[in-house]
Amino acid sequence: MTTATASVFQDGPSSTRSRILESLKGPVGSIGVTLAATIVIGLVWAGPNFLSPSNIQIVGVSVAIPLIVAVMASFALLAGVVDLSIGSMVGFGAVIFNQLVAAGLNPWLVAGITVVVGAVVGLVNALVIVRFGAEPLAVTLGMLTLLRGLCQVIVVSAPPSTLIEPLYDVTQGAVLGVPTLLLIGIGLTFIAAGFVSKTRGGRKIQAVGGDPRAAARAGISVAKVRVLALVASGVGAAVGGILYVGQLGSASNLLGTGLEFQIYAALMIGGYSITRGGVGNPIGGLFGLLVVAGITNILNINFFDPDYLDLIVAGILIIAVLVDRLRGGDSFE
Amino acid sequence: MTTSLLPSTEPATTPERRSARTRRSDAPAGTAARDALTIAGVWALLIVVTALVRPDFLSSQTLLAVTFTASITGILAVAQSLIVISGGLLDLSLPVSLVLSAFMTVTAVTAGAPTIVAIVVGIVTGAAWGSLNGLIVVFGKLNPIIVTLATGFGGLALMLLVFKSAQIPSGSELRQFGLGRFLGLPNIFWPMIAIIVLAGLALAYTRWGRRLVAVGGNAQAAKARGIPLRRTRLSIFIGAGAVAGLAGVLFSTVNPSFTPNAGAGFQLIVIAAVILAGVSLSGGKGNLLVLLLSVGFLATIPTSIAFFGLAPAWAMVFQGALLVIAVGIDGYRMKRSAR
Repeated sequence: MTTATASVFQDGPSSTRSRILESLKGPVGSIGVTLAATIVIGLVWAGPNFLSPSNIQIVGVSVAIPLIVAVMASFALLAGVVDLSIGSMVGFGAVIFNQLVAAGLNPWLVAGITVVVGAVVGLVNALVIVRFGAEPLAVTLGMLTLLRGLCQVIVVSAPPSTLIEPLYDVTQGAVLGVPTLLLIGIGLTFIAAGFVSKTRGGRKIQAVGGDPRAAARAGISVAKVRVLALVASGVGAAVGGILYVGQLGSASNLLGTGLEFQIYAALMIGGYSITRGGVGNPIGGLFGLLVVAGITNILNINFFDPDYLDLIVAGILIIAVLVDRLRGGDSFE
Repeated sequence: MTTSLLPSTEPATTPERRSARTRRSDAPAGTAARDALTIAGVWALLIVVTALVRPDFLSSQTLLAVTFTASITGILAVAQSLIVISGGLLDLSLPVSLVLSAFMTVTAVTAGAPTIVAIVVGIVTGAAWGSLNGLIVVFGKLNPIIVTLATGFGGLALMLLVFKSAQIPSGSELRQFGLGRFLGLPNIFWPMIAIIVLAGLALAYTRWGRRLVAVGGNAQAAKARGIPLRRTRLSIFIGAGAVAGLAGVLFSTVNPSFTPNAGAGFQLIVIAAVILAGVSLSGGKGNLLVLLLSVGFLATIPTSIAFFGLAPAWAMVFQGALLVIAVGIDGYRMKRSAR
């Protein structure tokens, strides 16, 4: 479909044509092509209902909260510090929020506490990574276990159910047929994309992730940028946890398990790298999540075993990093 | 005594260079000894504190529980260490190697294969899984963490599609081996000790081992010295896979039945053991004797937790916190020595 668009311009000015080809070769371009391919496969395989409002709503609801968590976590990736603890932080945030609200505290106060907890977790990660210069993967893997352990210590048997009216309206509501939560997620994505590519702060993050030494020589405080990025990641995960409680009405001690892998697979498919910073754009991340959600949906409609999803995502992930390397990404020898 | 058996796996330095940079070349051996003392000290502290609160902690039951927990973790930690020391960062698909090998072993036993064939099937399965990872890493020139992340959850999905639960026939020789004891300790403990010693010796005294350490220390320098990077890396992935395959064989002997997800619990504790042992994630450095200590220490935590009367989930909290602290200290030390 996209190649056809390019051939329309064949007789036009060559600069336009080459610009379109260039943008297709870029990270967001190739994930855009993948997304288009997913939609085409969906239409062929699942029929025209694939793009029906009700089906888009199903996909939108499933993608909204991971999208919010992913956009916030992408700042850390961009700054060159991967945060694996987000899945457990989503679970931990949800568990604290749910338990404290069930205990009778004011939901707004509890939401504030949960966000602060997320920020503190981000600060602890940042302290060990930035101050002591430890490997981000190892530190946040430790944090992942620690937080999951705390979830299981706090919630032993069936968790209490909570219903918070304003939160329920946000998580279940829709504006003009589009889920409210999805609109918030997409809005956040565009704000983040604008921030990353158009503002000085965004360029600082890219510089820190791309080449920390050069950034430091240019007078950017690498430590400050990375601390802020990790705090943003922790806060995003805490907010994700609160929203899950709104959506599910409860929080089990397993909530969010493996979410970090799904999110980072989607972000890497969307052009981010977990091993080097400075690359990727939130729009690419959104496309990556939509591709994964679209494949999930196609498999669901056709009654496939959901395990096929992980198999397909694993394949796409390896192809995505291979394409990234051929495009000039880091090669491993 | 023990350090002469398993010397620090730093690249061998010639006498001239040693005299020229005495301090630098002695530093790694000193670090390993210090790591060993630190871990042994904390471990002893844990045992003493638990025994003060609950004197019945010092029993043969505790010893059995700890050595049992340490066995499979220890072998997997050797596999992970080989990858990490060789500069391969981390293998996140070890749980798949473990369970897939265990499943193939069980399948072979169920089909009536002789015990030795079943063992070989398990080890070869692990090696084959390792070679799959290795081929993708070497020929795609891709980062091993990302590749094994993908093959890890892809492999788990594949196993979930193939089987729901597997169990070894209770009358089989392998199952009897898994239930048995030797010198008062579980049978599966001894292969772990053997693997740690053998791998330690291989790292120090074989060409393969020295190449592994050299590639991990500085891949470009190793290449310049004529070490074929691709072949070496592939052989390391296969070797580590075979070790994980052996862990799978033993796993099948001690678990009456297991699901494809059964390996997940090992992922973090194995990585924690490796990092706690001072095996640097930047490669080229690591001592398997210290690894034995850190595996033993981490294996003691769940039993101690139980004796303190805390919920088992607290073990996760402590192990996670320990990992964070350990990498923090490791990073701080590297930062200071780089200065």
